[in-house]
Amino acid sequence: MRKPMQTGLIVAAILAVLTVTEYLFATHVDDDLVRVLGITASAVGKAGLIVYYFMHIYRLWRPQEAH
Amino acid sequence: MALATAHQPAAHAPAHNHLAINRAGLWLFFFSETILFGLLLSARFYLEGIHREELDQLLGLGITIVLLLSSVTAYTAETAIEHDNKKVGSWYLFFTIVLGLLFAAGVGYEWSIAHFHRNESFGSVFFTMTGIHATHVVTGVFMLILVWIQALRGRYSSKNPWAVSAVVMYWHFVDVVWVFYYPALYLTQ
Repeated sequence: MRKPMQTGLIVAAILAVLTVTEYLFATHVDDDLVRVLGITASAVGKAGLIVYYFMHIYRLWRPQEAH
Repeated sequence: MALATAHQPAAHAPAHNHLAINRAGLWLFFFSETILFGLLLSARFYLEGIHREELDQLLGLGITIVLLLSSVTAYTAETAIEHDNKKVGSWYLFFTIVLGLLFAAGVGYEWSIAHFHRNESFGSVFFTMTGIHATHVVTGVFMLILVWIQALRGRYSSKNPWAVSAVVMYWHFVDVVWVFYYPALYLTQ
């Protein structure tokens, strides 16, 4: 159980960093294009991490595996 | 006859096949939900561009952190039950429920202090988007409570974790939706 827990903590830390990055882009960047791109990239990164590591989307392609 | 024969193996399909079918069905459900949430997101930008009304930034960031944290506790609960650590699993399901309720309360508070009206275009998309999302959060909390009660009774284990996994995946999906809704409502312009 230790390894999945470590993975969870690492993902949580990256999610926190991306959330702060997103917030900083919104509050400190004046250029509209750069701000929107930065916020979008952070959001897509967060969603990707959750879908892969927390929702285990890769298990869809491993039907023989129980967990 | 051929039809009956063709159906026979499905009736005795191994457990892992049932799991694969369950999993695929759940992802199809997520796909249909993505269309709903995606349409609301595009409506928001169609009506208002990147303009937004003033919102409580601290509250928005706070409830976002709460929801992300709830995904971590939900993941921990699922992992614990998959490893037969039922006590830890039950506790983390409980923490997830509390965090979910906290998020719903935060959205409710945001509604109560919002200075714009639902008849305005931003108000219309804001209340619709957060309202439908909050409905999913409340539904998720309800399902988490059901699963938590069963987990306290020791119903789930490494051999039978599907109900917990399904509810936790739903919870993560609700979180993913907020990952896009938060910047769209709070952080643009």
